[in-house]
Amino acid sequence: MPGATRSLRLAANIACLHAATEFVRTGALEANLPEARIGELDLLIEEVFLNVCRHGYPDGRQGVVALEYSLSAPGELSIEVADQGVEFNPLTAAPPDLTSNLENRPIGGLGVFLVKRFAQFITYRRDRDWNRLTFGISAGSRW
Amino acid sequence: MTVEQKQVAGQVVLLVSGRMDAESAPRFEEKCRACIAEGLTALVVDLGDLTYVSSMGLRSFISVTKTLQDKEGALRICRLKGLVKQVFEITGLLGLFRVYDSVEAALMGG
Repeated sequence: MPGATRSLRLAANIACLHAATEFVRTGALEANLPEARIGELDLLIEEVFLNVCRHGYPDGRQGVVALEYSLSAPGELSIEVADQGVEFNPLTAAPPDLTSNLENRPIGGLGVFLVKRFAQFITYRRDRDWNRLTFGISAGSRW
Repeated sequence: MTVEQKQVAGQVVLLVSGRMDAESAPRFEEKCRACIAEGLTALVVDLGDLTYVSSMGLRSFISVTKTLQDKEGALRICRLKGLVKQVFEITGLLGLFRVYDSVEAALMGG
């Protein structure tokens, strides 16, 4: 039903990636997203979750990732990924150079780029010491 | 994800199936590096049964290709489809890799 919200807290650890994916997939089923959108949703969650795991808590402390999803409209799933790590707004991150040849091609930076391309919408806000990234995916393809 | 190594017309074909995510991508890279360590520097990678790839997977492809280029070898990938093809396409990698429609075409790709 529209407006239903569920949340889950996980350790910011790559070992929890599949738990994060499974959780959001539950929302995808509730939103009746087609199979093709679920693959894209997996990609969004993996890239955002791993970014927090890899860069969010560089001082070695055990961090958390708080996931929340809601059915924002019929056939549309809205997901918030929140963390208390280093302040990072992916929307202002410099885009990777997609034109350089393979020899000069940087190996990083593609994850955030993919998130921006596959999300139906995406917003970021710094809420006290939390990074809150919200993005959506809907049944209709944007491709 | 599974990586099956086959020998076709004297060349190595790696058939990659399933999902290549952050957890499984290192296993693909290790498999490629094991081939390279054996002196196999012309690798064909069949992605026809791969349904998912994330940026960690792309990193593996870029990294292995760079290594092979240093050894005057090549990574040839074929049968990309669906989400996997989209991900390669929008990151601009489709034009950088040697990409073929079929295993046969990749084997003949030189």
